[in-house]
Amino acid sequence: MKVLSKDKLSTALNKLSDSAEVFVPMQKGKQSGYFTWKSFEEGQDELMLEALNVYQSPKNAVFPQTERIYGIASQGVEVNIDKTYEDTSANIIFGARGCDVKGIMAMDLAFLTKGYEDSLYKARRSANTIIANACYEPGPNCFCNAMEVNCVEPAGADVILHDVGDGYGWEVKSDKGEAVTALLADILEEKEVKLPAIKPFIQNVDYSGVAEKLKDMFDHPLWDKLAEPCVNCGMCTYVCPSCYCFDIQVKMWGEQGYRFRTWDSCMFEEYSREAGGGNPRGASKERFRQRFLHKLQFFKERYGTPLCTGCGRCMIVCPTDINIVRIIDAVKEAEINA
Amino acid sequence: MKEITKKIQEIAARLFAEDKIDIFLAWAQQGEHEFHTNSYVARSAEDVKNIVFNEYSIYNVSNSLLKFRDSQERIGIAVKGCDSRGIVRLLEDLQIKRDRLYIVGIPCPGLKDPLAAARNYGGFSRKEEEGLAWKCLDCIQPNPVIYDELVGTEQTPRQQGDRFAKVKELEQMSADERYKFWEDTISSCIRCYACRQVCVACDCRTCIFDEMKPQWVGRENSTSDNMMYHLVKHAHMAGRCIECGECERVCPVNIPLMLLNKKLIQDVGLLYGGPEAGMQYVEGSKPPLSVYRENDPDDFL
Amino acid sequence: MPDKDHKCTCSEKPLVPNIVEVIDIIDRTPDVKSFFVKNPDGNGVPFQVAPGQCGMVSHLPIGEAMISCTWQENQEYLEFAIKRVGLLTDELHQIEIGQKIGVRGPYGNGFPVNDCKGKDMVFIAGGIGLAPLRSFIKYCFKNRQDYGKITIIYGSRSKADLCFKEELFELWPQEPNTEVFVTIDNAEAEWDGHVGFVPSYLEEINPAPAGAIAVVCGPPIMIKFVLQSLEKMGYNDDQVITTLEMRMKCGIGKCGRCNIGSEFICLDGPVYYLKQLRDLPPEW
Repeated sequence: MKVLSKDKLSTALNKLSDSAEVFVPMQKGKQSGYFTWKSFEEGQDELMLEALNVYQSPKNAVFPQTERIYGIASQGVEVNIDKTYEDTSANIIFGARGCDVKGIMAMDLAFLTKGYEDSLYKARRSANTIIANACYEPGPNCFCNAMEVNCVEPAGADVILHDVGDGYGWEVKSDKGEAVTALLADILEEKEVKLPAIKPFIQNVDYSGVAEKLKDMFDHPLWDKLAEPCVNCGMCTYVCPSCYCFDIQVKMWGEQGYRFRTWDSCMFEEYSREAGGGNPRGASKERFRQRFLHKLQFFKERYGTPLCTGCGRCMIVCPTDINIVRIIDAVKEAEINA
Repeated sequence: MKEITKKIQEIAARLFAEDKIDIFLAWAQQGEHEFHTNSYVARSAEDVKNIVFNEYSIYNVSNSLLKFRDSQERIGIAVKGCDSRGIVRLLEDLQIKRDRLYIVGIPCPGLKDPLAAARNYGGFSRKEEEGLAWKCLDCIQPNPVIYDELVGTEQTPRQQGDRFAKVKELEQMSADERYKFWEDTISSCIRCYACRQVCVACDCRTCIFDEMKPQWVGRENSTSDNMMYHLVKHAHMAGRCIECGECERVCPVNIPLMLLNKKLIQDVGLLYGGPEAGMQYVEGSKPPLSVYRENDPDDFL
Repeated sequence: MPDKDHKCTCSEKPLVPNIVEVIDIIDRTPDVKSFFVKNPDGNGVPFQVAPGQCGMVSHLPIGEAMISCTWQENQEYLEFAIKRVGLLTDELHQIEIGQKIGVRGPYGNGFPVNDCKGKDMVFIAGGIGLAPLRSFIKYCFKNRQDYGKITIIYGSRSKADLCFKEELFELWPQEPNTEVFVTIDNAEAEWDGHVGFVPSYLEEINPAPAGAIAVVCGPPIMIKFVLQSLEKMGYNDDQVITTLEMRMKCGIGKCGRCNIGSEFICLDGPVYYLKQLRDLPPEW
């Protein structure tokens, strides 16, 4: 197997950064997330490939929090679109865990299937290569196995890294993977390696039948109880590797400006408020229910897979300790009075 | 703390039995670990056994009162020093009536941050130190300022040295340095609005940032829009922030939000004097910057 | 549920609008105006619509909104009847002929015009809700032989608030085998027509359910009571069609907010048989 020796890691990242933006898991000051290797400051920042994961997911690389759609020039009755934006410059996500790869697979379904292709996402994604980092040791909050993720061989990865101690086994999975491998031809070595054994998952989550059961639970009283502590901030949706909802807004300075899109959250009251003032999800509980049904039922119905990837981030960051695993358990246990 | 838990449970049970309350707001452990402790609404004597006061009961439950401001329940509530200041704010802002509340005060020994514990448990990134939450180290008011019944013994404030030392450090910087400092920290904001949602002083029904007609602050995740958000939000907290530190504690990207609040607390103190926000409740009293007079000497507001 | 594998019918950059010129503006009521637009070179339109489809209309410096687009027999221009309800529509009501605005589309499934062939059609609308139905009504009159009896029941708050008065009072009543009933909520001077709410007027008129399809659009409260009335009158859930309104941003089923269950109203809707809606979470 090809191996990337750990002492050649920065050489490899430098090499890849010559022709692409390379997003790596990093502790950057107080920030924990995916940042570009070019922004890495020796001595200050820390590469987090050995950690289980980082707090901000890599979705920013293919779906930035804010991106421009087109430029506007407006002068009296004359209005023109003077520029359209599409970022086709190469980018690589290096070291993504299986759950985060699954997040991007889910966004592929949402943005690229069922009729329309989202041109902004498509441009970035076409120029994107995913180098995944196989997980042999699931963490205490991990439950990706229950969410159709293979954390050692994540579907959708172009290359999979396997931590073998002093190096990473380099498994090529696609043409895009071949292309980045070619860039590192001088750095990768051919070696005999023994892949580690996968350790068992610490928590046991059973998602089977949940999507189907939820169909009959829209009005179930359990939502009142579960939603009670929620304060409707958008943290869970913004750290989530698969939440993809967005808002479209405009920014103008006098006669010039642009339209942009920016992450939005179903947790916000404004999200579904209509121009006339009505809101089908005006109550906190209704928005809470929407989020979890989208994750566990609606997305599965539409695209065939759940929108939760089992990464466990939302349960770590939530100010009021809302926990999707406990919600799945509560749904499993709930009685339905038909 | 087990003693305090027991006492709160007893009081809550008594209040339910005497039909003095319809709900009791406190904390409960929701998951298998103690750090899974968060706000809790007991709705009957049956629920009372779930109430706990442990070293992770840090959530400011006065914020939960906002969920009940339009309903009629009679509410029992357990509060620490900082939480009790939140109640005073809500009373001053006429968000809830005093006679709907039965307040159980808990002098607070200083608590731990369950989010830090959850992060450490989750195994992402670096391990953090898990002592007292920093917000508790800065505490000036561990004892409840308003209550009907007190459980536990009075605590001494833990804040030591100059309370505004960090503010002064920033004031010493040149304008450019200071701008750079805030640019660096605020540019990482993800605009999740958790700092607003957990803030008890943020009791506006429609927040200016959710107002769309007109839209006052852009939603772009850019340094300028992010700064606008934080400046407007925190300026609005002048004379209102009760220093519970929840905004900074929950921030997923570690923005030092209390620095902004402390600067305002310091300046409002210098300009207007008087008791700080939520420190004492006198019926009908208003904090500074909450009163409008037609003969105001300034021409703006 | 309808097939969700939609065909993309718009440009390669679906979020970027086409610039069009406003060639005419007609005041329909004190707060409803019709805007007629064409390509800026005067030739044709950027896209064609089927009855019930929508377009995303943008006053570029302000914002965008999803608006029902009127079906035209000759697709020489696009018409959007827009009620003033919010920031964008306020601004749109200020513009004048010659203004360049943006449109993108067409979006949505449109009315099942073929399914309804051979049926008696009962159109029930309130306020601006007549705008989407008007497309279907015009389509029926253009293809008159395909449809049975046509009954149009329309109401608004006051006489001034009645949209499309020329069609209501002059054109449509002259069509063969067609009846038009108009009502206003409260009595007023110079109104000798019916006074009362749409649902009760509907029950009074009582169009027979046999072989009929009812198409309903209006404010949510009107829709709610009209659906109850239709049920009482013996209409089955597969004889009732309505169009839904949710907040929309992208129009192409991506941005998330217009979902009801796993349906995106902008893409899979906005037109549904009541039978289909009964299978969805009750958020409509």
